[in-house]
Amino acid sequence: MTTPATTTATSSIANEIQKQVSEKRPFSLSRFLKDRRFLYCVSLTAFFGIWKYIDYTQVLGNGIAAPDAVVAQIWKLANKTIAGKSLWGHIWASTYRIIIGFSIAAVIAVPLGVIMALNRYVNAIVKPVFDLIKPMPPFAWISCAILWFGIDEPSKIFIIVVGTFVPCLLNAYMGIRLIEPQLYDVIRMLGGNRKDEILQVGFPAAFPAIFAGLQISLSCAWTCVLSAELVSARSGLGFIIIQGMQLSRPAMVLAGMVVLAFVAWATTLLITGLEKKLCPWKREAVQM
Amino acid sequence: MAYETVKVDTPLVLRILPVASVVAFFGIWQGVVDFGIVPNTMLASPTQVAVLFWEKLFVADPDGAVLSVHAWVSIQEAFTGFFLSLLVGIPLGLMMGWFNVAEGLARPIFELIRPIPPVAWIPLTIFWFGIGIPGKVFIIWLSGIVPCVINSYVGVRMTSPTLIQMARTYGATDWEIFKKICIPSALPMVFGAMTISQAYCWTTLVGAEYLAADQGLGYLITMGRRLASPPMVVLGMICVGLTGVAIGIVIERLEKKLLAGIRR
Repeated sequence: MTTPATTTATSSIANEIQKQVSEKRPFSLSRFLKDRRFLYCVSLTAFFGIWKYIDYTQVLGNGIAAPDAVVAQIWKLANKTIAGKSLWGHIWASTYRIIIGFSIAAVIAVPLGVIMALNRYVNAIVKPVFDLIKPMPPFAWISCAILWFGIDEPSKIFIIVVGTFVPCLLNAYMGIRLIEPQLYDVIRMLGGNRKDEILQVGFPAAFPAIFAGLQISLSCAWTCVLSAELVSARSGLGFIIIQGMQLSRPAMVLAGMVVLAFVAWATTLLITGLEKKLCPWKREAVQM
Repeated sequence: MAYETVKVDTPLVLRILPVASVVAFFGIWQGVVDFGIVPNTMLASPTQVAVLFWEKLFVADPDGAVLSVHAWVSIQEAFTGFFLSLLVGIPLGLMMGWFNVAEGLARPIFELIRPIPPVAWIPLTIFWFGIGIPGKVFIIWLSGIVPCVINSYVGVRMTSPTLIQMARTYGATDWEIFKKICIPSALPMVFGAMTISQAYCWTTLVGAEYLAADQGLGYLITMGRRLASPPMVVLGMICVGLTGVAIGIVIERLEKKLLAGIRR
């Protein structure tokens, strides 16, 4: 409802400010140059331009392929088969290994971490052994895996399990351990018993941390599957990369890397979306 | 006295259990190998590893270097890569956090490169640098730089807006705010980045040394597999693990010393 009184109120300070904001700012060159979208464009153009230029001048010899050559190579890979599999087959081979290894690790590590944090006797037994195994990088297990399982599928899955186990367990453990004691105090004051403490406070409060652990271990899983495939494989994205290296065709190596980056990015996106769905109570932190 | 020290007794069981568990771990390991449940060609017993460790301190055969040389080469590579990643990553991250132009220019490229695991760069590195030290340092640098940039960026972004507004009110320029407020308040995050990035560097080291090295702890592991000698593989793994832990502890100490006066 507009009355004369409100229309005359435009002279107040608050309205004046609002009016200023809604006004379109005149075009200025410096602001246009500092606009983020413009800078993104500049940066990407420069990146691909330099990449193309390096290829053109042959500074790195035959060690690099132009961006368009890489795209052409991806197109070629998508349409023909290498070692009996198309590009999709190779992507699926890698993803399949990750799914199996990651599920095995998550199913064992998360409950173990939770139990370790809740029960100090279990903690006293498992923690020292875990601390012994923790610092070994997954890549170091490759040699063991090959000695134990040969070069077939199980050795790759083993490496993924080992690599993803550590972050899963650590995050589940720390997630429960770092719950604010006040929350426990509240549930105790409300008359909750140990079961309530765990179910009503422990799990919801630790869930974001557990999920973060899964996220970290998923990106670890990509590194693991890749290192396993680089050492020995007949399928997977790592195989494409290593094949490109052996045929000394940088376009193929780069194509493998680009596809890998894209798939890894997509999985991250998927799990972030899942997180928002599953635990909306997570506190928003500054994220990059 | 206002405060009384309260002594919390840990039950005897809790003090014994960790020791017992480690002893049991090694006992089972030894037993599994000695009684032939796992063949000797697949796993080495702890005593075999210990014997080999003692030998490798003095004998260079069959992999061409004594243990200390392997360790020294690895540490050199890892630290060169680590310092280079700090040198580039931290300033880049800090600038990206504060200056719009820096973020606009650097962010897209960073986001493009970030999802690629460092190991995937190995073939390209071989094309570019051959198989020498620079290639390995490059891979380690790549793996170390990502946490540096992210943490420094987040550290600057987390600066309390009140402090920035206060500085603005007193007429500080952008550069002064960045220098006097944002950087100090980002320091804890930056040191956190050091710890993470060191761990990443050390992890990637073994991968980097997979690329045709002739010395280094990663090479020891690879060589152990080629010679089908499980004790050497396990020895290499243990050395990598122990050295990693030692470096981690040193960095943590350093961090505590340097950050003594800063509130988190």
